[in-house]
Amino acid sequence: MALIEIENLSVTFTAKGRPVRAVKGVSLAVEQGESYGLVGESGSGKSTILRAICGLAPVSGGTIRIGGQPLPSPRGADFSRRVQMVFQDPYASLHPRHTIDRTLSEPLAIHGIGNTDQRVTQALKDVGLPPNFRFRFPHQLSGGQRQRVAIARALMLEPSILLLDEPTSALDASVQAETLNLLNRLCAERGLTFLMVSHDLAVIDHMCDRILVMQHGQAVEELPREALAKAEMKTDYARSLFAASADRMLDA
Amino acid sequence: MTLLSVENLRVTFDTEAGVVEAVRGVSFSLGRERLGIVGESGSGKTQTGRSVLRLIRPPGRIEADRMNFDGIDLIKASERDMRALRGPRIAMVMQDPKYSLNPVMRVGQQLMEGLRRRDGMGKKEAHAKAIEALAAVQIRDPERVMDAWPHELSGGMGQRVMIAMMLIPNPDLLIADEPTSALDVTVQAEVLSILDNLVRTRGMGLIFISHDLRLVSRFCDRVLVMFKGKVVEELPARDLMKAQHPYTQGLLNCLPRIGGPREPLPALDRNADWAR
Ligand SMILES: Nc1ncnc2c1ncn2[C@@H]1O[C@H](COP(=O)(O)OP(=O)(O)O)[C@@H](O)[C@H]1O
Ligand SMILES: Nc1ncnc2c1ncn2[C@@H]1O[C@H](COP(=O)(O)OP(=O)(O)O)[C@@H](O)[C@H]1O
Ligand SMILES: [Mg+2]
Ligand SMILES: [Mg+2]
Repeated sequence: MALIEIENLSVTFTAKGRPVRAVKGVSLAVEQGESYGLVGESGSGKSTILRAICGLAPVSGGTIRIGGQPLPSPRGADFSRRVQMVFQDPYASLHPRHTIDRTLSEPLAIHGIGNTDQRVTQALKDVGLPPNFRFRFPHQLSGGQRQRVAIARALMLEPSILLLDEPTSALDASVQAETLNLLNRLCAERGLTFLMVSHDLAVIDHMCDRILVMQHGQAVEELPREALAKAEMKTDYARSLFAASADRMLDA
Repeated sequence: MTLLSVENLRVTFDTEAGVVEAVRGVSFSLGRERLGIVGESGSGKTQTGRSVLRLIRPPGRIEADRMNFDGIDLIKASERDMRALRGPRIAMVMQDPKYSLNPVMRVGQQLMEGLRRRDGMGKKEAHAKAIEALAAVQIRDPERVMDAWPHELSGGMGQRVMIAMMLIPNPDLLIADEPTSALDVTVQAEVLSILDNLVRTRGMGLIFISHDLRLVSRFCDRVLVMFKGKVVEELPARDLMKAQHPYTQGLLNCLPRIGGPREPLPALDRNADWAR
């Protein structure tokens, strides 16, 4: 049994009284400890799938199961201890007037977990930030440092699943490298399962074991990592996505 | 023909913590071509771009030995002259559409506003122009987008709307600050080909600011590589992958590659001699 099972998922928003079918019958399964990537053009429904898992999108059909269990609505405390999300823009996702200390200790307080001091210090250490950063505000950190804080916050409740939505797209090449290395290290140390969205096929290739290509809310093709580098895709759309990434190949 | 020339540009912020030298003596010139500016965040790319429009607010200060656009001295120009230049002659697409689009105005209204006020166009004509501009940036459902509020757009959509809006008055110079950073590769390629087409057919100059070295090398004619407020290397864009400066090389080495090893990615050595 896969850890995350999505079957025939559909999400329909209503905008100006008209339905917008953002996700149309997508199925995917992510094994425990696996890194699974979602790629596809913007508007293809990638973020919506992650948000649907978190109970933040109007699901109009299909099922989502984690560890074999259907998810309750609202998701509840149990869910946030197992699944956490990291967004593209760490500035928008951190409260501007809360210190890093408050940002990191809040999930603990909500879930009645003690030993706050030690856990916050350890969390900063785990993501490679100095302990005195506790007393800073988001605007006093660089983009890469803010994304580290966002990752630290996601890890406070020791979840087993991280949903990563373009986690390095706002970052420089050098900071992206540090952040990807950090995620891979944490994944190995804690046996985390990743479901990750990126528009950069090289990032997905570096991080993920399997890849789902999406277009217009639909799953177009699923590929194992090896098939990507060998250009063994079956659909024209996946091939065009790959062709547009020619400069991201190893020997480009 | 030179459209813009900048000599020894300096941007300084007097802050409580001391003087921040955001741009330290940058020089470049630009014809009707695509000039890329790359470098990590904080290297001074945005401040350089904004200086051309004199959009640096106090406590920031701009100084330059020379800053000339199509015969106009941008240092001496009055604030009124600058306002007349901004938009119709020099347009800027900002890094984040969230901060450039008016959150309480529907997209269509924002697109039509300038056409109606500046160009005195009728409602119907302005509507058609706006739809045309949205179609030009490959928005599939322009009528729906016209009706949308900015917060209803995905990041990529917002960015395309911004570009459409900036291009409506047909400027001579477009400064695009990370215009495609939120877009996936296929849409990015589409948007870039739109920009490319405009540079060619309208004879527009383009300053393309990005932290994505690969994108800049594919898309621009010439590239400035900035580090800590200075240009460390200037080279033809097609040679970017063969850059000589260790900073540029370091940035290239940090990038993951399709089919590359699963080892940790190399980090940039910030303690090397060149970084001091
Ligand atoms: N809150 C919303 N209301 C209406 N439409 C939405 C909303 N959120 C997303 N959409 C639409 O759903 C589609 C998929 O969006 P999204 O999942 O954000 O795409 P991606 O992450 O692949 O870029 C888009 O057409 C988008 O406009
Ligand atoms: N209002 C300000 N006060 C002080 N320093 C500033 C201000 N705005 C920008 N800076 C500094 O100017 C430098 C260059 O910034 P910027 O041009 O935005 O870099 P880039 O666009 O390359 O990321 C940075 O070190 C930044 O901290
Ligand atoms: Mg998205
Ligand atoms: Mg910038």
